[in-house]
Amino acid sequence: MTAAAQELLVGASSDFLRRFSPFNRMEPEALAFLAQHAVLAFHPRGSEILTPEMGQARQFFIIQRGKVQARQAGAATVTEYASMTLGPGECFPIGAISAQRPSTNAYVAVEDSFCFQIDADQFLQLMQMSPVFHLFCTQYIASLLNQSRQQLQTTFAQRAAEQQTMTTPLGQLIKKTPICVGPDAATRSALEAMAEHDIGCIVVVDDKQRPLGILTQSDLLPRVVLVGFDLARPINEVMTANPHQLPATASAYDAALEMATHGVRHLLVIDSEGKLKGVVSERDLFSLQRISLRQIRAGIESANDVESLQRASRDIRHLALNLIAQGIGAEQLTQFISALNDALTRRIIDLALDHHDLYGIDFAWMAFGSEGRHEQTLSTDQDNGIIWQCPELQDAEAVRARLIRFGREVNESLAACGFPLCKGNIMASNPELCLTLDEWQSRFGDWIREPDPQALLNASIFFDFRVLYGNERLGDQLRLWLNRSARMNSAFLRMMASNALQVAPPLGRIRDFVVEDDNSIDLKKSGARLFVDAARIVALRTGVESSSTVQRLRQSATRMGVPVDEVSAIIDGFHFIQLLRLRSQHLETEHDSPGDNKLNPDTLNELDRRILKEAFRQARKLQLRLKLDYQL
Amino acid sequence: MNWLTRLISSRGSDLGLSDAQVDALREWQAIAEPDPARPHFETRYTVLNTEATGLDLDKDRLLAVGAIAVDNGRFSASSGFYAELLPSPATTLIDLLRFIGKGPVVVFNAGFNRVMLERALLDTLGITPPWLWLDLRVLLPALFPERIDAPVRLADWMQEFDIETFQRHHALGDCWAIAQLFLAMQSRALAQGALHARALSDIERARRQLWRQP
Repeated sequence: MTAAAQELLVGASSDFLRRFSPFNRMEPEALAFLAQHAVLAFHPRGSEILTPEMGQARQFFIIQRGKVQARQAGAATVTEYASMTLGPGECFPIGAISAQRPSTNAYVAVEDSFCFQIDADQFLQLMQMSPVFHLFCTQYIASLLNQSRQQLQTTFAQRAAEQQTMTTPLGQLIKKTPICVGPDAATRSALEAMAEHDIGCIVVVDDKQRPLGILTQSDLLPRVVLVGFDLARPINEVMTANPHQLPATASAYDAALEMATHGVRHLLVIDSEGKLKGVVSERDLFSLQRISLRQIRAGIESANDVESLQRASRDIRHLALNLIAQGIGAEQLTQFISALNDALTRRIIDLALDHHDLYGIDFAWMAFGSEGRHEQTLSTDQDNGIIWQCPELQDAEAVRARLIRFGREVNESLAACGFPLCKGNIMASNPELCLTLDEWQSRFGDWIREPDPQALLNASIFFDFRVLYGNERLGDQLRLWLNRSARMNSAFLRMMASNALQVAPPLGRIRDFVVEDDNSIDLKKSGARLFVDAARIVALRTGVESSSTVQRLRQSATRMGVPVDEVSAIIDGFHFIQLLRLRSQHLETEHDSPGDNKLNPDTLNELDRRILKEAFRQARKLQLRLKLDYQL
Repeated sequence: MNWLTRLISSRGSDLGLSDAQVDALREWQAIAEPDPARPHFETRYTVLNTEATGLDLDKDRLLAVGAIAVDNGRFSASSGFYAELLPSPATTLIDLLRFIGKGPVVVFNAGFNRVMLERALLDTLGITPPWLWLDLRVLLPALFPERIDAPVRLADWMQEFDIETFQRHHALGDCWAIAQLFLAMQSRALAQGALHARALSDIERARRQLWRQP
C-alpha cells in the first residue's frame, strides 16, 4: 500500500528467492516483478495444494518453507518417479502451467508449509520477461518429453470397461424374438421368412416351442442349391436336427466355448422348460467383446459420417447398460458416459466443420446443464451453445449467422445420434445462445442484477457451462468473470439459496418417504437437484471453477472449513441417488419407453431404502447449511 | 450531518485537523462494520504491529506502524503498510485507518500494541475505532497447545514455526513474521471449525479466562 512498505516486503521476498536457482541468476527486474506479485499462503500438513481435479492450473507455486510431496495421480506414470518431495525454493507445476492444462500430479503438503504463488498470467509474463527463467522452464519440460500424459487419464477407464467381458448371461444378449417354423412347413416359406427378416438362420420348433432343428444360410449352398432340393418339400428334411442349445443362464463365455468346440456359428437359447428363447450368433458375442471403451473411442474418432456415429452412440448406451448390470458405481459410470459423449460430440463438430468455413473465428462449443456438470444420465437432451469473439474488421452479424448455421447442423447430427433436440430450445442454433464473450457476460450480468424467477432458472442451467470444443480460454474468461460477479453480489446468491430451498427432501414424519400421487419419488426434482443447486451456490460463493457437483462440493468445503467426513457423506448421498436414477432408466429402456426419474420406494429392498433415506438426510443437511449461511 | 460527524468536526478543530483530514475521517467513519460471523475467506484481516520508543506504556511514545492485509488466507508485498508517525501523526494515522477499514485487527500482544495505538488515535484524532481485536499471543497457544502451551514471546513462536524476517524489532519486519503466524493459525482454526473472526475472539476470551484461574 505505502511505497515504503512495498519496497521492504519486495526486498524481503527477493532476498529469499535469491538463495535458490534459477532465481539467483534471474534478471533484477524479473526478480523484482516476481517478488512484487508473489502472494504468500499457508498449507497445513496433509492439505492438497494442487490436484488434477482442480482443473487447469492457475497458480505457480514456490515453496518458501516446509515440504510438499508430488504424487503421480494417474494409473500409469508420466514421470520417472511415483512420488517426489519438494523443499524450499523448489517450484511447481511447471509443465501444467506452461501448457495451461490441469496438473497430472497431486501436490500435498507433508509438513506445515508456506508457499509463494503467482497467477498463470504472471507466470507467462515472467517467462517472456526473463530468458533465464524461460530456459529453466523449457529445460524442465523437455525432461518430461516422451512421457505421454494424455494416455494415463484413459488407462484406468479402459481397464474397468474391458472387465465387462464374457460373463454376461445369454438371456441378456438376446435382442429379437426368434423367427421359427413348424417341422412340416414348406422349405420355400421358411426361406421366404429368412429373406423377409434378413436373418442368418431359421429355427424349427415343435408345437410346444421346443427346438427340433436349425437351417442356416451356410447350409443353403450344399444342401439346397447345389443338390436342386425341391422347395415344396418340408423343412425337416433339410434342417440340422438336434441343434446345439444352451440355457438362458449360461454365460457368453459358455456360448463361445460351445461354438468353438463344435464349429457352429449359431446357438439356440432355451428357458428352463426347454422352450426356445432366442438365437445367439457368433457376431453377437463378437460385438459384446467389441464394446470396450477403447474401441468405441476409436470408432468415434475414425467415423466419417453420422451413420457410423449413430452406431457408436448405440454402443455407448449398450456399454453403459452392461456396466450398470455389473454394479459399477455412479461416479465412474457418469464419467464414462460423459467422456464418450464428449468424444462423440467433438467428432460431430469436426465433421460439421468440413462443411462450414469458420477459419479464423475464435469460438468454443459449450455444454450446459447436466452435460456441463459431467452428470449426463442415459436420457438427457441437448443443452448447448456457442461463445465466440468477432475477428477484427468483420461484420459481427454475418459471423453470427455462419455460426448459427454450423450450430444447426451439429444440433441435427446430435439428434440423429440419440440426443433429443432440446424442447426449451437451449441449443447452439438458437441466436440467443450463440453469443460473444461480451454478450454472455452481459446476459449473465442481467440475471445476477435482477434475479427474478426466470433469471434464477436460467442461472441453474447456464452457470453450469463448460467448453467442449474450441478455445477453452473463452470459457475460462467467462468463468472467472462469473465467479467474481456472483461473489460480489451476495443478494443474488441469497436469492439463489432461497430458490434452492423451495424443494425439500421427500422425507416423511410418519412414513419413511413422502411420495407423489402415483406413489413415486421424482429422483431428479426432489433428489439430485437438491445437491446440484446447493453445490452451484457454494461454488459461486467460494470461486470454485469446476462445473461438476462433486468437485464443487469438495473444493468449496475446503475453503469454507467443512470437515472432510461431512462432505464425503454428502457426496456419497448424491452418488447413490444418481445410481438409482441410472438404474431406473436402465430398466425403463429395456421396455423401450423413455427413461424417467420416477422411483417407487416400495420397490427397493430394505438396504437400498435405508441408504436412500440417509442420502435424503444428507441433502437436508446441505440445505440446512445454506439456510444458516444466508439466514433463510 | 448527524451528531457523530458533528462531534468529529468539533473535536477535529480542537485537535487542529485540516478540513481534508476531517473529511477523510468522516469517510472512514461511514464504512459499514463487517459482520464478524462472515467466513474467513470473505473477511479482510489486518495484521498490525507498532514500534515505540520503548516498552513502558506510561513513558514511551509510538514511533511507527506496520500492517499487512490478509485476504482469503494470503498476502503479498502490495498488501503492506508502513509509516512513521513524524512529521505528521494525523496523516499517518488517518492513512492507517483507511488501510484497515473496519475489519478485524490482528496483533501479537494486545496489551502493548492495542493500548499504544488506541492512545495515539485518541490523542491525535479523538477516536477509538470499533475494531474486533485478535491477539496471537493468546490465540497461538490456544490453537497449537501441542507446540507451546503458554504466553511466550514472538521470537519463540518464530523459532517454533521456523519463520524468519528481514528485520527484527522493525514495525513491518515483525509484522511480516506475525502475518505468517496468523496464516498458520487461521488454517488451524478453520480445521477446528472456528470459521470466522467472532469464533476466534471467543477462543481468545476462553483462553484468557483459563489463564486467570489459579
